[in-house]
Order: sequence, then structure tokens, then C-alpha cells
Amino acid sequence: MLPRTLGILVLIVAVQLTGCAAFRSYDTELQQTNQQLTSGNVDGALMLLEKHNTSDDKDLLYYFEKGELLRSKGDLAGSQTAWRHADQSVIAWEDAVKLDSGKYLAQFGSYLVNDKVRRYEGYDYEKVMLTTQMALNLLEKNDFDGARIAIKKTHEREAVIAELRDRQYLKSEEEAQSHGVTLQYKDLKGYPVESLDDPEVVGLKNSYQSAFSHYLAGFVYEALGEKDLAAPGYRQAAELRPNTPLLDQALIDLDAAGSQNTGTDGSEVLLVLQTGFAPARDSIRIPLPLPIDNNLVITTLSFPVIRSDTSTPFFNQVGIDGQPVNLTALNSTTAMSRRALRDDMPGILVRTTVRAISRGVAQKKLNEVNPLAGLALGIASAVTEGADTRTWRTLPDNTLVARIRLKPGEHQVVLPSSLGGTHVRLKIDRPYQVVTLRAIGNQVYSGGLAAQVIPSNPPQAVAINIP
Amino acid sequence: MPFIRLSLVAAVALLATGCANNSPALGSKNISYGDTKAVETVTNEFGSTDLQMIAESMTRSLAQSGTLQGRPVVQVYDVKNKTSEYIDTREITTSIKTQLMKSGTARFASDNTDMQSQVDQLKLQNQSGLYKQSTVSKTGNMVAAKYRLEGSISSIVKRSSDYKDVFYKFSLQLIDVESGLAEWMDEKEIRKTTER
Repeated sequence: MLPRTLGILVLIVAVQLTGCAAFRSYDTELQQTNQQLTSGNVDGALMLLEKHNTSDDKDLLYYFEKGELLRSKGDLAGSQTAWRHADQSVIAWEDAVKLDSGKYLAQFGSYLVNDKVRRYEGYDYEKVMLTTQMALNLLEKNDFDGARIAIKKTHEREAVIAELRDRQYLKSEEEAQSHGVTLQYKDLKGYPVESLDDPEVVGLKNSYQSAFSHYLAGFVYEALGEKDLAAPGYRQAAELRPNTPLLDQALIDLDAAGSQNTGTDGSEVLLVLQTGFAPARDSIRIPLPLPIDNNLVITTLSFPVIRSDTSTPFFNQVGIDGQPVNLTALNSTTAMSRRALRDDMPGILVRTTVRAISRGVAQKKLNEVNPLAGLALGIASAVTEGADTRTWRTLPDNTLVARIRLKPGEHQVVLPSSLGGTHVRLKIDRPYQVVTLRAIGNQVYSGGLAAQVIPSNPPQAVAINIP
Repeated sequence: MPFIRLSLVAAVALLATGCANNSPALGSKNISYGDTKAVETVTNEFGSTDLQMIAESMTRSLAQSGTLQGRPVVQVYDVKNKTSEYIDTREITTSIKTQLMKSGTARFASDNTDMQSQVDQLKLQNQSGLYKQSTVSKTGNMVAAKYRLEGSISSIVKRSSDYKDVFYKFSLQLIDVESGLAEWMDEKEIRKTTER
């Protein structure tokens, strides 16, 4: 009787220690939310988000997703409020990192806690995209001064991340050496190695720098007449995406005398099209032989994999006033997310392996004393073991832009027929304007002052260039 | 003996009050004000010390060059940022301008950014009919610049697994508007190396 009670107690304690986060399937929750958004039911998506986050202590992810959903609904003020909450969490993270990065890295390297029960801190690219999306919200209201603040925060944040990651990767290498872990993700049989070694992923300088964020910074600074700050924005974007005519041209035009547009020859319009959803993180189980108590024991370990979103077909052309206009892709969240995982994999491998070894040893010792308690610990471990699948899922996947000179007045944008051939009415009335559209499946969302999605679907739609 | 006792009491009283700050203070103990001139080496990106070093060096060089005789009017142009860093070069030229102005070495015409506000104000005073005529600033009396001040900042960044080396070069020149001749020119170089 006593061993059974003890076993049950161990199981309860093990489950409580790992907390509810271990059982939460973020992927399933957000699949449902995103389905609502794809079908055009933003209120339904918001309701689901609230239903899945009933606790008073809302986390960073909740605010990430809420901001994006409210933005799709056209509630820009609500979206900014939600994202300001998210920004506060990121600021707290930044402060912790700046104050004592050694302490921060030490707790990050803890081997006892499963990654998915840690408090969600957000991936680097999510932190950068947060303030970029906030800047877009402000630009929808033609608030260039407000956008400038968000943009300045973005590049200051990038600098903090760069400094920290340099140290973290070094520490991760040292820890792998000290624990004798020589495993690489390429050694994991059954792991989709090609997804992390994709040329687009390897081609990225790192996971957190976005050519779009820097290009947008350049555009905002240029609009405000600050060429000295616009130049590095365009230059960094060009360095991140070499041989992109749009980026090279921006630098050339900036150097031209009297380049600031006064609006007499029309408005300088930046059309931003954000499509699809950020990829999901899934958990894959891979059996590995681990040295537990001097024996090689085959143990199943969980590792994260990236699953791309397929809700929205890729396109690179729209029609403006009956003329086809090419779009330039400046950001792929899928590539950034894969790059983040590629860079994190050494650390994930060390943590998962060391944790599995210590757990194996503990279970063996418990088995010797009390087999039932050992079994209970084994069950608890099997239930809670899994890769961290949390990630900002409503974030757009691709960001494409077109820079065009338009006369003041009304204009019409037509999206490709694969996206339902949606018509959008543009109202141009300023020397510089940023217009953002979000396309998900057949739905097109716009919450700004300058763009209005026309509900009906007239037959004329432009052909798509399949790259 | 009473003298020693008195001296001791005085010493204790002095010590007790010595370091006390009697002004009211609110908030966290972790926040403090620092010396704005303290050398900042938090990261090796462009920082406050670089800005101060460049501004001081350029102001001294220009003021001592003898070019600015009789407080000439100078117009400050943008300093071209050729680096990949978001450096607000206007802050550098504003510092130079402030120091030259405070020392009475030069006067400054409205620069590119101020010009629109200046024109708007003149238009408002002369065209709106809102102001008493005797107080209105007349158009056509703005003072043109004798010199223009312009420059650039560039950087070379080198990285290895152990070091990051950043080299900044800031150049500034004063050009006579009428003749087009560069009357003064100087540059300031800064090297910052970080060991990882």
C-alpha cells in the first residue's frame, strides 16, 4: 500500500513541478485561432485567444497574438495597447540582460527545467518584429514621429541582442565541451536537417536582423528629412539582402540633391504587403543512445522542428490603377525562425541530452529503492518531455514591398486572383505615405486611414508571376 | 579635557552630517545620475564619448584656425553618414555649432531643417494680416551665409572570433560660398577595439 501511495505522490509532485505549461499544446490552440482569421472571422479568433488565456497573469505570447489580431480587425489603438504590454516584457528582458548578462546566461543554461516550462521570453526575431509592427501601426495613421520612436527602439534592441548572442553561443560551446556532448543536429537520424541547411536560412546573417525593418527605418528617416539616419537603414537592408535593386536604388536616390519629396510631383508611397502566418514549431521524437550509469541506453528525446504555413500562396505582383507592379520580398519569418532554431540547436542539444542523462540516472536509483516510484517518475517524464512549441503564430510570414510615386487622390490596388482578386482603394494625400495590407488565404485586412478593402470581388484580377 | 570632548562631539556631528544629502529623493536605489563627460565604453558602437570627442576636437581646430574672423555667418549642412550605424550626425554638428556660438566665434544661418520653419514664420507675419505692421519682420532681410560647413563620417569594422575593431573617421570642411574654396578642413579618427 505504502509504495503505491508513494508512487502516486511522486507522480503528482512531478506533474505539479512541471506545471501546466508542460501540457499546453500551443500549436493546437493557435491552429484554431489562425483558422478563424483565414476565414475572415477576427472576432472568433479573438474569442479563442481569450478562451485559451484565462489566467490573470498573461504572458508575452498572449500580447503578441492579441496585438496582431486587433490590428487585423482594424483596431489600431487596441493593437498598440496590447503590443505595449508585450514591449514592457521585452524591456524587462533587455534590462535583465544589460544589468547582468552572466547571470541571465547562467539561468538560461539550467539543465533541470524543460524548455517549454520556462516563462516565454520571445525569440530574437519576434522582439525585433514587435517594434517593426508597432511602427507600421503608427504609419497607418501617418504618425511618422511615433514610428521613428518604435524604429529607434528596434535598432537599439538589435544591438543588445547581438551583444548577448555573441556571448551565449560561446558559453554554449564551452558547456557542450564541459559535459562531453559532441552531438550536432546533423547527427540526429530522422531530423529534417535540410530545413535548417536551406540556402535561404544559411544566407541570413543572423536570425534577428530584418531587411524590411531596416528599409522601413530608412523610409521613415527619409520622410522626416534625416538623411544621415536614412542612409544606414537602406545600407543595412542592402547588406542583408544583397543584389536587390529596390534597396540599391533607395541609397542612390537618397544621395541625389534635394531628394526629400515635397509632394509637388506626387507622393512617395511605400506599399507593404504582409502575407500568411509565421511557421509553427513542432516536436519530433528521436531515439538516441545515451551513457546512463556507464551503460548505453536508447532514450527517446524531443527536438523542435519548424513547420511552414501554407495558408497563403506566394505572389510577387499586384495591380495598381490597372498596371502590374512588382513587389520585392524583404522578410521571411519562416527563414528567420529556421535560422533561430539552427543557431539555438547546439544549446538545445546540450540541455536535452544532459537532462535526459540526469533523469535516467535518477530513475535508475529510484527503481532500486522503489520500483513503483521509479515507474511513476518515468511516466511523468514521458508525459512532460517534449520540445517547446511556443512561438508567435499570427505574425505575418512574408513581407513584400513596392515603392511607387502616386499623384494625390484615389487609386486602386488589385491583388492576384489566387488571393481572391481583392480590390483595395487607396487615398493618397501626403508627400510620404506607408500603406500596409495583410493577406491571409483569400482574406485581405487593412486598418489604416489610406486603404479600404472593397468587399465585392470584381472579375478583373492581375496574373501572378510564379517565381 | 573639555576641549577634547568638544572636539570629539564636533567630529561626530560632522561625520554624521557629512555625506548626508538633505534634498528629497524618490524611487529606486538602483538608479543614479552619472557624469555626462565620463568615458563610456559599454559597447564599441558609436557612443556619447565619441560624439563629445569629435565635437570638441573639431570646434577647437576651427576656432583656432583663424578662418572665422569677424564672426562670419555659417550655414551647417548635413554630415553624410557613410557607416552602417544609426548615428545621429546632427547631434555632432549641433554640439559644434553650440560651442562656436557660445564662444562668439561665428553666427549661424538657418540650416536645411530650420529653413522651412523660418519661411513659414515670415509668410505668416507678412501674409496673414494678423500682426501689427510695425512689429512684422520684413522679408528680404535674411542674412546669407559666407561659409558652409559640411562633412562625413565613415567606419571600417573588422571582426574575428576574439576581437571586434571599429575605426571611425569624421571629416569636416568649411567652404567659402562665393569662391567655392575649402578654407579649413580637419578630421578626427577614433579606434575602438573590444576583446570578447
